Amino acid sequence: MIDRIQDGPVIEAQGLTRIHGRGCPDCVRLTGDVHGRNVCPACGSVVAVAEVSFRLWPGEILGVMGESGSGKSSVVRLLHLDDRPSAGTVRFRESHGRAHDLASIDEAEARRLRDTRFGMVHQNPHLGLNFGVSAGGNIAERLLCCGERRFHAIREAALGLLDRTEVPRARIDHQPGQFSGGMQQRLQIARALAPNPELLLLDEVTTGLDLSVQARILDLILSIQRDLGVAMVVVTHDLGVVRLLAGRTMVLRHGRVVESGLTDQILEDPQHPYTQQLVMSAL
Amino acid sequence: MSALLIAGTAQRFGFLDDFAVREIRRGLLKALAVPGYQVPYASREMPIARGFGTGGMQITLAIATPLDRLKVIDQGADDSVNAVSLRRFITAACPGLATTTRTAEATLIQTRHRVPERALTAGQTMVYQVPYPDPLQIVEPSERKRRLAHAHGDYARLWVKLYEDVVRFREVSISNRYPARVAGRYVIDPSPIPRWDLPKLHRSPVAHLFGAGREKKLYAVPPFTDVEPLAFDDVPFAVEAFRDAAGARRRCARCGAGDTYLDQIPQPDGGDRWQCNDQDRCAERMEER
Repeated sequence: MIDRIQDGPVIEAQGLTRIHGRGCPDCVRLTGDVHGRNVCPACGSVVAVAEVSFRLWPGEILGVMGESGSGKSSVVRLLHLDDRPSAGTVRFRESHGRAHDLASIDEAEARRLRDTRFGMVHQNPHLGLNFGVSAGGNIAERLLCCGERRFHAIREAALGLLDRTEVPRARIDHQPGQFSGGMQQRLQIARALAPNPELLLLDEVTTGLDLSVQARILDLILSIQRDLGVAMVVVTHDLGVVRLLAGRTMVLRHGRVVESGLTDQILEDPQHPYTQQLVMSAL
Repeated sequence: MSALLIAGTAQRFGFLDDFAVREIRRGLLKALAVPGYQVPYASREMPIARGFGTGGMQITLAIATPLDRLKVIDQGADDSVNAVSLRRFITAACPGLATTTRTAEATLIQTRHRVPERALTAGQTMVYQVPYPDPLQIVEPSERKRRLAHAHGDYARLWVKLYEDVVRFREVSISNRYPARVAGRYVIDPSPIPRWDLPKLHRSPVAHLFGAGREKKLYAVPPFTDVEPLAFDDVPFAVEAFRDAAGARRRCARCGAGDTYLDQIPQPDGGDRWQCNDQDRCAERMEER
């Protein structure tokens, strides 16, 4: 379904639900934070996320926080069109006003959006980078997806993106396997930024990196948001990351949103017992 | 289609049974209707091993008639072991089918590795023996993902291969199987023909039929169809130059031709001899001289 709207959120999700398994009419009712489980006792299906609704505005960073298995990565997979929801709608609006319902989009259009409008940075660089080609080749692939066919223009753009993400220019022809963990993440960010995306999805980008490298990556993400104004969804289980990056935060548990609002408000005055526990444990 | 039997026997003309012929012909029609699209088919067991040209041979046997005149070449040679064996089998399976080594006289040309140097003319048909039909095979091991990429026209990873080549060698290093876009849509692997031959496919007056027996795929370039090699706007596609150390174009040591694809043949004295790869064209020129 495609229509045109002038202004509005980049992403508007309504009742987003993803059930793995055959599912039954009681799946959503019998799972969730109230029941303390996300496996349906009636049919055994896994309710990865259910009834998740949120809006993401242009230039905004939305934090998605929760423990392992809470459904954070499922939300990102649905937004990145790597998976399709069992119910609900996700409306994505391109900057020129064209809007898409990501829940019912066809595979060819999904590929176009993934290639030209979205950027994704994975926790595991092996998922986000092609280790068989050079750093420049990784960035070139995204530019080639957008139709760029001038070798020298691709080369210049790749060097510019390496500058932007603080990867030394001299490393452009090195393979990602020769990079450190932090540099691999920066290369992933450079690759994600190549087509000037309108939505950047960051899935646990600093997990597993040492603190000094984490700080540099977070600074880089902030500067990108400030300079380019790209909307971002940051998935993390680290309170420090949402505190630094996200204007608004959504807390997930057992596949449900248990609390959402301004990040400062959630961290200073958490209402849900799980969020309180999370904030207390961090302090 | 009624079966064409060899006189006095119950053996069918062309070795293949009716069902096989019908399926291959239908596959070829589909391949011609959707230029560059790889049509799957049930490749038959042949009395030669897979990988020795069974794909091309099945096409030849399915479309040959007693009125055709067949030429079989292998790397430009009419008398190589492979070409001779294939020709012998096809003529045994198709009594009455005439053979020739002259490109100009042939109506049906089965080839491996080369397109004849002499310009092809309407009424002729080229049949290629293809080892690997999918150009994406070198960048994507998963066939499922390759098929999706073809369906979506996503050849970015193939372009990345070209990018990496230009970075490393200052030019695209692919010497044969150079990927080419057909009719502005599908990218094909034009069998292992050298880069030299690729421009001959562009708007060619003849149908080019490709058969991969082991991989069970058929595809085609219909007559007068655009075939464009993948190339960056600022690093244009180029064919082999065959230049010597002084920059001059090498010539065939036999016929003197300076506009053909040359073979480099090491000599006992340590030097090299360069001569035409296409034996027929070379012989023709020598006769003309």
